[in-house]
Amino acid sequence: MSSRRSRSQAATSSRITDDQIVELVSKLRQLLPEIRDRRSDKVSASKVLQETCNYIRSLHREVDDLSERLSQLLATIDADSAEASIIRSLIM
Amino acid sequence: MSSSSFTRRCNTMMKVPSSFKKEFLKKWIVGLQVCGSLNKNMSVSERKKAIKLSADIAMASARNGSTCWSRALIANASKQDANKLVVEHVLGDDESRKLTKQLPVGTSMALARKIRVIRSKKNILKRRSGPMRRAARKSNSSLSSSCIAKRLVRKRSQVLKSLVPGGEFMDETSLIEETLDYILSLRAQVDVMLKLANATELVTNQK
Repeated sequence: MSSRRSRSQAATSSRITDDQIVELVSKLRQLLPEIRDRRSDKVSASKVLQETCNYIRSLHREVDDLSERLSQLLATIDADSAEASIIRSLIM
Repeated sequence: MSSSSFTRRCNTMMKVPSSFKKEFLKKWIVGLQVCGSLNKNMSVSERKKAIKLSADIAMASARNGSTCWSRALIANASKQDANKLVVEHVLGDDESRKLTKQLPVGTSMALARKIRVIRSKKNILKRRSGPMRRAARKSNSSLSSSCIAKRLVRKRSQVLKSLVPGGEFMDETSLIEETLDYILSLRAQVDVMLKLANATELVTNQK
């Protein structure tokens, strides 16, 4: 199924073989938390791409949330404690 | 690209080195300190932007220019004057001069031109397979489902290209390679940031 699709694409990308593309897509699958848990071997390329996009978006969101959290933490540090001055000098 | 160099590229590029987190942390702190010294009294949202910017530049810089997405991320950040100081300090003067010189408008246009040339060559190859296509067209149902599938893959690839820095310039194979590396780097970034946030919380007794 998906190999037939990628074969027509691979034919036009000259020396990259179909196997290499399949290998890359399978590596991508292993990274994605949702697809990895499913036992099925027949995940379509478009599903992998969609899950990849969702995963990257969620990682971006996590970075954003963590930045916000750190910013709040640094803003409300108790100015007098020794640890606070360490953190202050180390980070900001 | 021959198949052996392809495998070599895969193997060297797609494993984020174990020192990555350390490098990231070091560079991130440099960036944070630069931002802190530039602006002593930041609002929460200003500081958040500074934290995020430093984190992204540190993550890209820790790949040492070995991936396209990292170079694109740094180039995009350098476009804004406000960010240039952070970039320079995090990268170190030599590396930042090299990287920001590598991707001025001219070079990215040359790159886009190269990609257009490669794409037009691919189109010529596609046209040659015309007679085979006409035979496939005879079975209508299989054509429409594979057409839809192809269109879906193409649409999703476009979205992915918009998410990965520099994705617009990549062909399909490079896109997947770069995506793998980008995801691994993002995960490491999140991991380190989480640990620092937890540690800060603990140390300053803010739970």
